[in-house]
Amino acid sequence: MKAYLRVRCNKEYLATIREFVKARLQDLQVPGKVGHQIVLAVDEACANCMIHQHQCDNFSTIEIAIYKENETLYTEIKDTGQAFPIHEYTPQKVKEIVKKRAKGGLGINLIHRIMDEINVEQKRDYFIYKLGKHVGSPAKP
Amino acid sequence: MEIKETTQANFVTLSPQGDLDAHSSVALDEKISELLSQKQHFIHIDCSGIPYMSSAGLGVFISYLDEIGASGGKLVLSGLQENVLEVFGLLGLNQLVTIVGDGASVASEFQGV
Repeated sequence: MKAYLRVRCNKEYLATIREFVKARLQDLQVPGKVGHQIVLAVDEACANCMIHQHQCDNFSTIEIAIYKENETLYTEIKDTGQAFPIHEYTPQKVKEIVKKRAKGGLGINLIHRIMDEINVEQKRDYFIYKLGKHVGSPAKP
Repeated sequence: MEIKETTQANFVTLSPQGDLDAHSSVALDEKISELLSQKQHFIHIDCSGIPYMSSAGLGVFISYLDEIGASGGKLVLSGLQENVLEVFGLLGLNQLVTIVGDGASVASEFQGV
């Protein structure tokens, strides 16, 4: 079963998204360390949408869905407009970012390091970032 | 985000409290920028009050690394919680930023400056 959350594109709601993801991961018995990494990757993807797609416009929204299929945990972020092709993006080297004194560029790097599957589905007037992480089966009691 | 500032003999300690994400990191960014504009280039960040850090928080630190290094200063982080330390490790930033465990180690990092 999918769990959904819709939030305004205001960075204040990133904390709400993290709490939603954490609670859902707990329900799905995803272990702590992997769970923290998934929370981080989803936070990064949502922050990217809010900042770069919507310039933090409080009247725009994004929708987050979480579910598990077989042994993979999927997060879908549904957003309007044209998708940034995060699945094709080659992350910058961290040393280059330091040299440029840049504040950005690390988020997509983290998403690529954490998630096992990164896909973008472009529809007519919206797109979906689909992030998958192999989490295995919950431990038997 | 609440950020406590403590001035020591030869460095300044900033102690942010709460999650450091794309929303809250702006306050820390402004605080470090303010210190640098006051020619304070020896900065210690006590991270023990930060339970979560996203790339926006990391970005604040690394964006000033080059500037602080070029001015002969030093940026030292301490008290990183396990989850936060893991994020530094994922990107290899633990090799670029000075990270120490406790207060005594912090003082020794700034000794003789």
